[in-house]
Amino acid sequence: MTRALPLRFRRVADDTAIVADEAGRFFRSNMSFVSRLADGHLTPTDKAFLDSRGFLLGKEDQLNETSFLYALAQRLQPPKPLSYVILIPTLRCDLSCAYCQVSRAAQTAKGYDWSEETLQAVLQYLDEHGGESIQIEFQGGEPSLRLDLLERVVQFARARFSKPQFVVCTNLSSIDSAFADFMASEDVYISTSLDGPSWLHEVQRTQNSDRTSRFFSNLSKACDLAPGRVHALPTLDVNRLPEPNELLDAFDAFGLRSIYLRPVSYHGFARKHHPTSVGYDPRWSNFYSSVIHAMISRNTSNCGAAWEEFYLTHLIKRLLRPGENSHADIRSPNWLGYDHLVIDYDGVLYPTDEARMLARTGQVDLNLGNVQNGLDLGRRAQMQAAAFNALDPWCSRCPYQSACGRDPIDDLARHGHVNPPRPRTAFCQRHTHLFDLAASLIYSDCPDTQLSLSKWLELPVPTKLGEQHL
Amino acid sequence: MIPLMIKASFEDKSAPPFVARVGLESANNTAALSAELPDVHIYQYREQSFSVASDMGRSMNGDVIFANPATGTLHRWLRSGSSHNTLLVTERCDQLCQMCSQPPRKTHLDMFDHLKQACLLAEPCAQIGFSGGEPLLFKHQLFELLETVGEARPDLTFHILTNAQHFDTADVERLRLTVYSRVKWGIPLYSDQAAMHDQIVAKPGAFAQLMSSFALLAHSGQSIELRTVLLRENYSSLPELARMVSNRLPFISTWAIMQMERIGFARNRWADLFVDHSAQTAPLDEAVSIATSRSLDVALFNMPYCTVSPALRPYLHASISDWKNAFSSECKDCTAKSFCAGFFAWHATLADYERAGPIR
Ligand code: SF4
Ligand code: SF4
Repeated sequence: MTRALPLRFRRVADDTAIVADEAGRFFRSNMSFVSRLADGHLTPTDKAFLDSRGFLLGKEDQLNETSFLYALAQRLQPPKPLSYVILIPTLRCDLSCAYCQVSRAAQTAKGYDWSEETLQAVLQYLDEHGGESIQIEFQGGEPSLRLDLLERVVQFARARFSKPQFVVCTNLSSIDSAFADFMASEDVYISTSLDGPSWLHEVQRTQNSDRTSRFFSNLSKACDLAPGRVHALPTLDVNRLPEPNELLDAFDAFGLRSIYLRPVSYHGFARKHHPTSVGYDPRWSNFYSSVIHAMISRNTSNCGAAWEEFYLTHLIKRLLRPGENSHADIRSPNWLGYDHLVIDYDGVLYPTDEARMLARTGQVDLNLGNVQNGLDLGRRAQMQAAAFNALDPWCSRCPYQSACGRDPIDDLARHGHVNPPRPRTAFCQRHTHLFDLAASLIYSDCPDTQLSLSKWLELPVPTKLGEQHL
Repeated sequence: MIPLMIKASFEDKSAPPFVARVGLESANNTAALSAELPDVHIYQYREQSFSVASDMGRSMNGDVIFANPATGTLHRWLRSGSSHNTLLVTERCDQLCQMCSQPPRKTHLDMFDHLKQACLLAEPCAQIGFSGGEPLLFKHQLFELLETVGEARPDLTFHILTNAQHFDTADVERLRLTVYSRVKWGIPLYSDQAAMHDQIVAKPGAFAQLMSSFALLAHSGQSIELRTVLLRENYSSLPELARMVSNRLPFISTWAIMQMERIGFARNRWADLFVDHSAQTAPLDEAVSIATSRSLDVALFNMPYCTVSPALRPYLHASISDWKNAFSSECKDCTAKSFCAGFFAWHATLADYERAGPIR
């Protein structure tokens, strides 16, 4: 007797459902199919479709059982060695941005930089725990205030790792000649904040027109010094959103077309001042979707580099391709404290940057030990137990589960524990919207949308990607 | 064309055939150059001595040859420095594919001892191909050969072209032996529709058997190169095949999509079987896009560079081979010539393609 694999579904429109298995293979169908599935009244046509896409079990050849298990195994990748570290050589900064109250110290403050001993311990730690290759992200504070420390890390990593890459997260408030030389190297990437049009950037960050114009001229200077190696992220407040095209124009002025849109995430006290930020503001969904549509209409066959939202592209890849597990914000199992790690100004280890913030606000200390004494494996194991979504009562019924992820640190920050009912979390609401949007694009008949998808996924030609059974 | 068979005169025509490596210095298992005359080269292998034309002698230095004194021939089984060495296991086959490039015969000559010897003499780190006919009609001998050679020569890798009709559950454990991690199985699949596939290979039930074999091979962790030849019959449904492969065969290592070779059966049936992908690029473009969207590794073979859409050119298997020689006059000034697959004597010619022409 043949039968369908256990399938979950989500109704995305009146008579449309996304149906998926636990390995993340999915198709679109209608509600009468869903009822036939539930009632066990599948027609021969239903079964033929399910078989051709690997969802029918109990045939003699066992091929569908095998492909299911294979796809599932690809989703559940084992942990990898350390390959991405965020280093905080200093917590000092020369700006004080509206939402950065906790992660900085004054420019002249003492005791907020790595000591020589800490530097040595960091390098030794990377040497012992790093894999073959590594990406090193320098954060702060403003890391360029301690270019000397950056240079020593870079020098060490170039000798120890094959093709290391370095990302400097900088406010670009000044580029002296040493910093200019530093960013000219091919393995150095610049990441900065650009909140959109200059008025908005000024309100949220630079606060006066002098500093604003200095930032914008430094940004174009950086684009010249490090062509193709400059990325900018907007930090967006739902209460003060720019027009989508106004935002895109601000990026286009610097040739920046891959944008990572994130709503500002408040921590600790700041969150108390902004109660709406605990939950999810549906205005964000509307804004986000309209930016995506603005990007799609800018992506023509001869537009040059494609406009894309970095995170959405990643989610679409995760929906279609098992094994896209590189992004620590969205994966399950989420191997916290394995391949990604944060090393603070005092040598303390954290699984993510958000965990570092939470410790600084005194909310909850999620440190994983320090570089001097090594990882605290007991704490890591405890955290790991909460970093898996497949057994969650809500997620296990959600067709997006295997592409989605689990972030127990965000759960702790917002809810105080790791088992909030999923649909009430900002994480779930935001991702449900993102996956619904991704699915609507994958199934869109609009040629412009298909063109954008083909650019985001680097496909030879636009085509209908999604499976469907109607 | 590089001759694979060379005429030779043997001193002792009644001696049995042997396998040896051709070399300049005498050594174990080596047929060593003993004299270089203006017209002929003379070699000594143990008690036997033989001569070949001197230009042939020069070109076969380092090769592993199969020498047959009775017929006066040398077969260059493993050519030195070539990555395209394939040993023929048998000429028998249980399928009869419409476009078979090497039509099967009923007779079988058991050559396993010689084949084994050839593998043992192969150059360091060589890849050795096995084909047929259907090599797995002699599965146990072939497994035995792979295991013996694999143990003695951990540097070798193997590619076996098979219709995968002869695996069974009892093989799963055996295929988990380490030597099989150095084997890649080249397996043809022509359609997602059982009836169409069975018809193309002229064997009822072939598709069903193939699906079982894929499951077995996946369970034993085998590396599979899936091979699809484009035909008039299967071309328009190629995107459906791409969907099927993405969903049901996600464990394959590579999907090789290939244009037909104009040899064997295909020669006489060319007009009926050949499909010009340049005249209608959509099925190929779409199939590659679907497979790529699901992160399958796709490679296109035997397709002249100018006949595929520019977007598909990165998927073309660069063809850098000493076998290219069928230049068309149009290709003379083409910038793609050095890596284009358009020059094999046994392929389609540019005249077979509606859209073709030099790239400048
Ligand atoms: S968090 Fe929400 S969107 Fe993600 S898998 Fe769970 S239920 Fe689905
Ligand atoms: S013109 Fe000749 S060399 Fe150039 S792409 Fe076409 S077949 Fe290849």
